[in-house]
Amino acid sequence: MAARIDPLAALMPKIAAGDRGALRQLYQATSGKLFGVCLRILVDRQEAEDVLQEVYLTIWRRADRFDGARAGVMTWTSTIARNRAIDRLRAGGTARFAEPVERLEIADDTPGAEALLQGAQENEALRRCLSELDERTSSAIRTAFFEGVTYEALAERIGAPLGTVKSWIRRGLARLKGCLEQ
Amino acid sequence: MSDLGPEISDDEALAAEHALGVLGAGERAEAEARMARDPAFAAEVEAWRERLAPMAAGIAPVSPPAGLWQSIERSLPANDNAVRFWRRATFGSLGVAAASLAVAVALALQPSPVVTPAANQPAQFLNARLDTTSAQPLFVAAYDADQRMLLVTSLVPPGTDPAHVHQLWLIPSDGKPRSLGMVEPGKTLAMKMPGEMAPMVTSGVALAVSVEAPGGSKGPGPTGPVAAIGKLAQI
Repeated sequence: MAARIDPLAALMPKIAAGDRGALRQLYQATSGKLFGVCLRILVDRQEAEDVLQEVYLTIWRRADRFDGARAGVMTWTSTIARNRAIDRLRAGGTARFAEPVERLEIADDTPGAEALLQGAQENEALRRCLSELDERTSSAIRTAFFEGVTYEALAERIGAPLGTVKSWIRRGLARLKGCLEQ
Repeated sequence: MSDLGPEISDDEALAAEHALGVLGAGERAEAEARMARDPAFAAEVEAWRERLAPMAAGIAPVSPPAGLWQSIERSLPANDNAVRFWRRATFGSLGVAAASLAVAVALALQPSPVVTPAANQPAQFLNARLDTTSAQPLFVAAYDADQRMLLVTSLVPPGTDPAHVHQLWLIPSDGKPRSLGMVEPGKTLAMKMPGEMAPMVTSGVALAVSVEAPGGSKGPGPTGPVAAIGKLAQI
């Protein structure tokens, strides 16, 4: 992963040194993707815009911590966007998590959810490996990823004991890793 | 056990859970704190983020509204990440060594350090004063770009803290520190900047001194606390 050439990586030290032009270039290259991530998690457009703004301020402040040997710029910035959006979602209170259990199942069977996993080649391997997991586990992993749902909230939604949900996901992640390494 | 599939260690499972985002607020904060002090764990989390990232890669881009960039730009604070990084390092693992250095200098400091630029000094001269976080000068530096000569004078009294050495670092705009060697307390280090590094030495880049075990840092950057830092500038 680290060996992959990342054209955006050259911008990071400039941003860390306080170069606004470099941040602008990064914004031009990544804002569509990161806004997509914020919208996917938050749904509400205004909230997604607020969070996107926070995301670039965070990138500005933390650019010195970017380590190109450990992560690609796209992954690093997407992680910030996802974390910020999830923070905002959680700050919105528990009401948004009080969804009926069925929604978890239905949401992940829709072509929409499936289409999200198509596109880049890398996706293909992950998509295949997720599909090799049992339905329950892969849908729990996807829900956690896209909605920032904690173990507690997942367990509540599914109506299963916390320990059980934890062991599904842990086992699922271990299998995923094994499959991706093949 | 075979139906359980491959096993991963508890630590790795925690890294994976953190990357996935299923931890509750408390555990999540703990995981963040651990990433900051445990590089192996941090690397594990990053590896899991890379593994899971293709899920986000599948999300279709959506153009943010025009004008959002302008409002981001307006709210940007002045950035000084390089210096902030070093300041943090100083406060972090800090600092008896750095603190006692500062005290030693405060006790022994002579009135005015040596670098007094001549009037109408040509533009190729750069100077820096390397201060502690409490603005106590510990080192002064002068650089002649034409000759590629760097002079760094230690204001630390000779004989201070013989168990450690003071390692000088250049922090160019890429943020990666390059070692320039050791500066003995009370002495002046004179060095010719290697040709490949000379282009990095420009106005605005930082010089820093870290307190290291004898022999200096074994890593690519400082391993001990940062005693002082300052930026090169034309005076």
